[in-house]
Amino acid sequence: MEDLSLPKIDYAAVAPMLILFGVACVGVLFEGVLPKAARRVTQLVLALLGLVAALSVIVWQSDTRVLTAGGAVAIDGPTLFLQGAIIVLGIMALLLIGDRAMEHGGAFVAQAAITVGSEADRKQAVKEQGATEVYPLTVFAIAGMLLFVAANDLLTMFVALEVFSLPLYLLCALARRRRLLSQEAALKYFLLGAYASAFFLFGVALVYGFAGGVEFGTIHDSVTESTQSTVLLYAGLAMIAIGLLFKAAAAPFHVWTPDVYQGAPTPITGLMAACTKVAAFGGLLRVLYVGFDGVAWDYTPILGVVAVLTMLIGAVLAVTQTDIKRLLAYSSIANAGYLLVGVLALSKDGLSSTMFYLVAYGFTVIAAFGVVTLVRDADGEATHLSRWAGLGRRSPLYAGIFTFILLAFAGIPLTSGFIAKFAVFGAALDSGEAWLVVFGVVTSMLLAFPYLRVVVMMWLSEPGESTPTVSIPGGLTAAALVIGVVATLVLGVAPAPLLDLTTSAADFVR
Amino acid sequence: MSLSPYVPIIGMFALAAGFAVMSVAIAPFLGPRRFNKAKLAAYECGIEPSPEPIGGGRVPVKFYLTAMLFIVFDIEIIFLYPWAVSFDSLGLFGFVEMLLFIGTVFIAYAYVWRRGGLDWD
Amino acid sequence: MIVAQDPTLQDFGHDPWWLIIAKIVAIFVFGLVMTLLGVWFERRVVARMAVRPGLNQAGPFGLLQTLADGLKGAFKEDIMPRTADKVVFFFAPTIAVICGFTALSVIPFGPMVSIFGHKTALQVTDVPVSVLLVFACSGMAVYGIVLGGWASGSTYPLLGGLRSSAQMISYEVSMGLSIVAVFMTAGSASTSQIVAAQRSGQPISFFGLDLTAPGWYAILLIPSFLIFCIAAVGETNRAPFDLPEAESELVAGYMTEYSSLKFLLFMMSEYVAMVGMSAMVTTLFLGGWRAPAPITTFWAGANSGWWPLLWITAKIVIMLFVFVWLRATLPRMRYDTFMRLGWRVLLPINLVWILVLAAIKVLREDVDSTSRNLILAGAIVAALLAALLWPSKKKPPAPTLEELAKSRPAGSFPLPPMDLQVPPSPRARRAVAEREPANVGAAPEGEQE
Repeated sequence: MEDLSLPKIDYAAVAPMLILFGVACVGVLFEGVLPKAARRVTQLVLALLGLVAALSVIVWQSDTRVLTAGGAVAIDGPTLFLQGAIIVLGIMALLLIGDRAMEHGGAFVAQAAITVGSEADRKQAVKEQGATEVYPLTVFAIAGMLLFVAANDLLTMFVALEVFSLPLYLLCALARRRRLLSQEAALKYFLLGAYASAFFLFGVALVYGFAGGVEFGTIHDSVTESTQSTVLLYAGLAMIAIGLLFKAAAAPFHVWTPDVYQGAPTPITGLMAACTKVAAFGGLLRVLYVGFDGVAWDYTPILGVVAVLTMLIGAVLAVTQTDIKRLLAYSSIANAGYLLVGVLALSKDGLSSTMFYLVAYGFTVIAAFGVVTLVRDADGEATHLSRWAGLGRRSPLYAGIFTFILLAFAGIPLTSGFIAKFAVFGAALDSGEAWLVVFGVVTSMLLAFPYLRVVVMMWLSEPGESTPTVSIPGGLTAAALVIGVVATLVLGVAPAPLLDLTTSAADFVR
Repeated sequence: MSLSPYVPIIGMFALAAGFAVMSVAIAPFLGPRRFNKAKLAAYECGIEPSPEPIGGGRVPVKFYLTAMLFIVFDIEIIFLYPWAVSFDSLGLFGFVEMLLFIGTVFIAYAYVWRRGGLDWD
Repeated sequence: MIVAQDPTLQDFGHDPWWLIIAKIVAIFVFGLVMTLLGVWFERRVVARMAVRPGLNQAGPFGLLQTLADGLKGAFKEDIMPRTADKVVFFFAPTIAVICGFTALSVIPFGPMVSIFGHKTALQVTDVPVSVLLVFACSGMAVYGIVLGGWASGSTYPLLGGLRSSAQMISYEVSMGLSIVAVFMTAGSASTSQIVAAQRSGQPISFFGLDLTAPGWYAILLIPSFLIFCIAAVGETNRAPFDLPEAESELVAGYMTEYSSLKFLLFMMSEYVAMVGMSAMVTTLFLGGWRAPAPITTFWAGANSGWWPLLWITAKIVIMLFVFVWLRATLPRMRYDTFMRLGWRVLLPINLVWILVLAAIKVLREDVDSTSRNLILAGAIVAALLAALLWPSKKKPPAPTLEELAKSRPAGSFPLPPMDLQVPPSPRARRAVAEREPANVGAAPEGEQE
């Protein structure tokens, strides 16, 4: 038997992922062996420690530029930057997930399999603490995202896609309140996600048929050199793009977004809105910039149309929403459009500005969902917009914070949203994609309307009978809120350090 | 002439299939036929027959759980086979990798065990 | 003296078509005959163990009884229940039989022999993954049972079929894992190569001692062997694991609605599966067609020519005897204890054993002897420490009768005195005395005398 050659693995470079996968496994083990009372604290501390450890390894490794594990994983500037971003945003989401101050037992159900509305269900709603499996699941999802942005071939990318998707499907189904809505959201997300994964996998097969390999380097070479028919290439790229755009929530693959964002437990919505977006665009950037840059002229118009459609749908439908979580979901769709504009600049500036936008948006959106968890009444979170009327009188502090967040979404100067939009539009203009920028500016103005409507409603209406109280946040939620708001402000006032960082990181290895 | 070594397996399959299908096919013609309504009803003893509901009805969830556990471990076994066959050429590296793999699955196993997934009431 | 010639994988796939057909038919007939004789054998042995004569009417020693039963069954009415799914009900019995026979096609029955001038192995065929083929066939056979149970459209068969599928997949995991150790030791997944690998023992050195490891994997890999045997009984739905057809709970399980030849096919598939499993145990663990050790020392030709057919048949019959023995001896298990055995005992033992075996092999090959001894000593010390320091769960001592009596709430019913001695009834004593002659030699009744 011939000797098998074993791949060289740069363990230091992949250490963040190894740490997180290890922590998640240990977390699962703890679920089995620890007594119920000790689980939550242990799991939370373990998960946070793991994330911090992984983040410090990334900081320590920040100069690494290697292809490792047989070329399956690329650790380079964008990888490290995006991994760092995912971990920081993941820590914030984990803080929201871990908070149990607002509601007895936290935002998660104890036994997701109990029939909704049954006697056992009512009992668990009153008595039981939330499931602690959410912590290992979250860590698994975050670890999968780290691998996703680092994947240097399509198969590794697919595995990573599944690794971070499956825990998210589960997490969506675990809401403590409105369980049917939550389960419906999880099922929708799962079915559509499975569909998108299948598309992705078909695309991988077709591209393999064209290029004879799944590594981005091989694909890049055969795109530039191959003389074969390009049908397989275009069909494969289209299908891969469908898989990625689904995760990124770009139109016309966005239909799951409002339902899932609304039904999922709010901390998980925050995790999805921030981290999944970073991961999806990280993967998309690598696919388009490293693997398929040779056919950039061919896909730019199509993806441009997708971007315009995404911005328009997100902005127009956001205007009609009456539920704050759905409103934020459509805003997230529109932001996916702006991010696509940055991606389509197809330049170093485009890469760095997209990365900046991802981080800026992630901080803001998690803070936004953090505020949503605070506005509650006896039935849990009061998400209907009419209930928010007069909130500014009841609780000026949190209404003020939310106003600031909405202004950041709208892209008002002195917030991170302005700088981020400015950066992506600038990069697109430099690359000659002026039509995208025109649509971007128009939809931004359109999108400002629903944001301002909420602001007006909060401050200029009298609080009614049904205006809910705002809970005092627990320490964890408060920490997440402070991080998010401060980051939004700092990135708006002094964005230079992060802009420099993204610029210096904006170089893929191939 | 040399046939693929898989061909005889198909031959064996065909012979067995022919025998079995022949047997079930001739069965109605060999035996007598005496119509009796009770004979055609679902078998139950003593009580009013409760035929299986349309579409199979509900099946206890533990069967699904067993099926999922089976899939997990069957896939583990599928990964173990090639490793076992080429164990000698993989050596220490293969051993460590497999240790990690089995260890990971074992964690899931421990979780399922502790949480009552293996209890068959 | 002729030396046994082991076939290699290259020897297969060169037979002319008539030889292939001859072999297929021969194995098929072998399976049929083993089924007929297997039923006879089982009924005779069980009868002997129950101290009764057993079959003795049809033919010499009742040998033709199975044939007579089969013929009679064929002329019974073929009933298809009204609620049955017609197509599936019709085809389900065939699946189990087909799988059982197909699995027989890769069992090696002997070395290279010459048939009409053609050198060929006494084996229908062999492929690099033939153990997997057997494994797949035994897994597919469950479809016949579960579909038959489902298609009957009635409750007992459905439960029987479900139980059967849960049982089979649970034990398939243990079975599949126990084969891993064999693959690891033999370095191959083809049946003929596994038999060849058990030809002779390997020299091993252990702390400076030079020993010869036994050739048969039944001794070398004894945990795998035991687990495989247990799982084989579970896979074939045989007592004490015959829960899918537990007549005390489920009438006849998945076969309840079947009659005539369809019923017979299910019965047949069980026996074919038994023969197949026995042959598999023989091949994987008992040296296959090779003669057992003492015979070869004074008769070198025992492993050549057509003699191996005798050895493998003898080994299969011995394994069948074990199956029958288990049935005659053991009561049926309860379903939950049965599932617990599979998932909580066999599975972890198997996984740990595979890792231990792999560690031993790695230590033997990749590590020099001093560090190997160090590691071994360390492992032993660690195991001892673990055994010593293992947190033993002490159950609180069961409360005594007095404590129980004291813990009763006030106002409970009065208790009879606890030291109450009931004198033996004089009438009962007389009855025992009168019946004395009936149990002469039995242990004396009533210790009070």
